[in-house]
Amino acid sequence: MSFIDSIMAGLALVANVESFLALAIGVTVGVIAGAIPGMSATMAVALTLPFTFSLAPITGILLLLGVYKGGIFAGSIPAILIKTPGTPASSATVLDGYPMAEKGQAGKALGMALYASCTADLISNMALIMFAGILASFALNFGPPEFFTLILFSLTIIAGVSGDSLLKGIFSAVLGLLFATVGLDLVYGTNRFNFNDPNLMGGLNFIAVLIGLFAIPEILNMVWNPASADGKTRSLGAKWVTFAEYKRCFRSIIRGSLIGVFLGSIPGIGAAPSAFLSYSEARRKSKNRENFGKGEIEGVAASEAGNNGVAGATLIPLLALGVPGDVITAIIIGAFMIHGLQPGPMMFIMNVDIIYGMFLGLIISSVLLLFVGSISIRAFRYVADIPRGVLFPAVMVLCVYGVYAVNNNIFDVGVMFAMGWLGYIMLRANIPAAPFLIAFILGPLLEDNFRQSMLMSGSSPWILARGPITWFFWTVTLITVVAIVRAGVKGHRDARRQRRAAAETRAG
Amino acid sequence: MLKSSHFTIGLASLALSAFLFLFAIPTWVTTPGNVSNVVLSPVFWPYALSGVLALVGAGLLIMGSREIVAAPDDAADAPAHGTEAWMRLGAMAVLMAVYAAAIPRLGMVWASMLAFAAAAFLMRTRHPLPALVSAVAVPLILYAFFAHVASVAVPQGDFVRLP
Repeated sequence: MSFIDSIMAGLALVANVESFLALAIGVTVGVIAGAIPGMSATMAVALTLPFTFSLAPITGILLLLGVYKGGIFAGSIPAILIKTPGTPASSATVLDGYPMAEKGQAGKALGMALYASCTADLISNMALIMFAGILASFALNFGPPEFFTLILFSLTIIAGVSGDSLLKGIFSAVLGLLFATVGLDLVYGTNRFNFNDPNLMGGLNFIAVLIGLFAIPEILNMVWNPASADGKTRSLGAKWVTFAEYKRCFRSIIRGSLIGVFLGSIPGIGAAPSAFLSYSEARRKSKNRENFGKGEIEGVAASEAGNNGVAGATLIPLLALGVPGDVITAIIIGAFMIHGLQPGPMMFIMNVDIIYGMFLGLIISSVLLLFVGSISIRAFRYVADIPRGVLFPAVMVLCVYGVYAVNNNIFDVGVMFAMGWLGYIMLRANIPAAPFLIAFILGPLLEDNFRQSMLMSGSSPWILARGPITWFFWTVTLITVVAIVRAGVKGHRDARRQRRAAAETRAG
Repeated sequence: MLKSSHFTIGLASLALSAFLFLFAIPTWVTTPGNVSNVVLSPVFWPYALSGVLALVGAGLLIMGSREIVAAPDDAADAPAHGTEAWMRLGAMAVLMAVYAAAIPRLGMVWASMLAFAAAAFLMRTRHPLPALVSAVAVPLILYAFFAHVASVAVPQGDFVRLP
């Protein structure tokens, strides 16, 4: 069957009201769920799965994909408005989105998040269609040593989210790596910092850590100084994002989309590291790099492009190899199986109409996201106008419900509060929380792949440099580290010079 | 003139590293007897991270000892640093602990209503009526969603059960 024939077969499958309706409902449900802190896109997809049982395979799959796409985008709404990422993938959006909201530019930030998301989503879908086979076969060559070097490289992105002090960022990251060691040992199954408590044997709940670090410190800050919110409910600003601003951020959006496509096509990496890497690269390359972290619209564009660029690409290993790229695609694979479909190379031969129907549906979902997203921003942005003395208690209650709902476990609520206090101490000490979070995500992956490599090689470290892929990642890691250290030393010298100049001015 | 925060965090980092090396890892990480190589041992990764923590702590200490920062001109920030602010923060810690402990007994909805109202009071809300209405409405709406749409087994408590 030729490419055109395949497209036509797919079109015949999706050119009907049911498919459009499924996508529209899916995107809407995803946007609503993603915008509620604690209701992650993963949870929304999992909750929607039972509703697909009675639908036709393509309709059910499109419904789930719509939820996935909507959920990933909508995580940016609470990230920007209330500094609480709706999904882990939106953690990087907080860095510039929230400062923009505080400056009265929430509408602008949300608009840019939407446009960047839709652009990245479209690019990711196109990449899925064009490069599925090639990229998937590349990722198939990865073994534990390659993954280890890839994750090590990903950890260098910490430098991009460390704020003013690189050492404080590394300190925060090491804390994140340490917290990630809690639970049963990955190889031997023995206790590690879990005190024989069954609640800790599986490690700390990621959602509890995420919400604790990003939402609770804001609530505590409000308690510490209630006067800080007196008389000012954040204005969304009258201005919407302009075409000139979109054009200025276009390079970062494209770069972030491509990063998302690359990382998304590798199973297990996920949207959050992609968003942070995209943000870090945008910051490194931007003319306005000093504004990053203080409300730079390019930062919002880069992080949203990074996380949405993953959405289509995670389907590459799923469809081409039958390997789920992340948790959400693992749930989606369940939907395939319910309908008697087995994702993998044979599906491209046996069910090519469904494959191309999905591809077309995904492109339609990018357009639908633009419409549904625009409406949802206008609906959800009123959250910003709620008095803070009412909003923050509501956020606290919402966080408790959301964290509890992940595992139906009150222990996770305690973890969230504890992490909140840690986050607050870090906030007061000017220690960035983002490196903690990214290290907490990557920690188990890093350790697991390291130990698997050691098991494979009989503890010979040379396996970590066994081929071109590992050499490539070692080289880019080295280059990144050198660049970071140079930038850090330069920044430190500049800061000292400025302090001296200020001291001399005062003395004079 | 004050030492910078780098110095304090460096000290904390070194202290944490020493605590992990000398007490936490030997006590709270179990190593099986048949581990063939130290690199594969469950303690290897925590020890490696403790080592990195010590290095970072030393770096922060050196950086902090070199830079002396001026005492902040914090007159504007002064009211927030009063005893009252610390008391509010302490009360919030108690509130969070009581909230988490009350969920199994009172139920998620009723505990949340009380916690919402108490938190709004601690934040000195200038909108007491909307806060009170929200304190009742928000937990109920969330309950309706999580219990009836998402099928989450929301704790009901020992006293008043909701449909």
